[in-house]
Amino acid sequence: MDDSTNNKITTGDDETANQQERLLPIANVSRIMKQILPQNAKISKEAKETMQECASEFISFVTGEASEKCKKERRKTVNGDDVCWAMGTLGFDDYAPPLKRYLDRYREVEGDRSATPQRNEEEGRPSSSSTQFDPNLKPF
Amino acid sequence: MRQAGTYSRILSGGGVSGRTGPHLLPLARIKKIMKKSSVDVKMISGEAPLVFSKACELFIEELTKRSWDMTIQGKRKTLHKEDVASAVATTDVFDFLIELVHRNAADHVDDVSEDHAP
Repeated sequence: MDDSTNNKITTGDDETANQQERLLPIANVSRIMKQILPQNAKISKEAKETMQECASEFISFVTGEASEKCKKERRKTVNGDDVCWAMGTLGFDDYAPPLKRYLDRYREVEGDRSATPQRNEEEGRPSSSSTQFDPNLKPF
Repeated sequence: MRQAGTYSRILSGGGVSGRTGPHLLPLARIKKIMKKSSVDVKMISGEAPLVFSKACELFIEELTKRSWDMTIQGKRKTLHKEDVASAVATTDVFDFLIELVHRNAADHVDDVSEDHAP
């Protein structure tokens, strides 16, 4: 720990790394933006960066609400339904139906593959690929 | 990070989204952001980041569309940070972003070297 104020005393690399961790990749964000805009549209770099920040804020905002619900219900795990619920509560009603369908479909697929019951509080074991999803749980 | 092809076909096939292809956003990063949002967040199911990957897409699309409306009003072809700020200001559901976009505006000066209407 520095005894000086944490004010750009650390190397630029540290700051950049930290910042990248809390934001979605600019390339991905940019791609989504371009998808919705006309072909001739241009996007300033700072607009993309602002969008990155907004997306992270959105995740935090909704997660906070979902997490509160879990706390009240004495559950330790924030699941997909909690996220959907939180979005509906916070005014993103339009998103909730397509998300529910998306989630139901995912569960349908996963439910066929794995017959194990919900084990909300257990450590999930990643299989060969670190990107495997276990609907039963991957606590973090 | 590429997701399994199976998921992409099933999850992005018709009905849910007209878009094809794997998740557009990295789930591990989403998980990190979720964890940082609150000390109360202890455990996160595997589905939650998945839901967010879709939700963020919808969110970014909506905010981008509304920002672009502002760009058009300004008779420009380049979407600027100010357009995002205007979209936030005029959309109730984006109230939670007001402080963020104003904070950004205070810290930075938007690039004027881009296509900018006189």
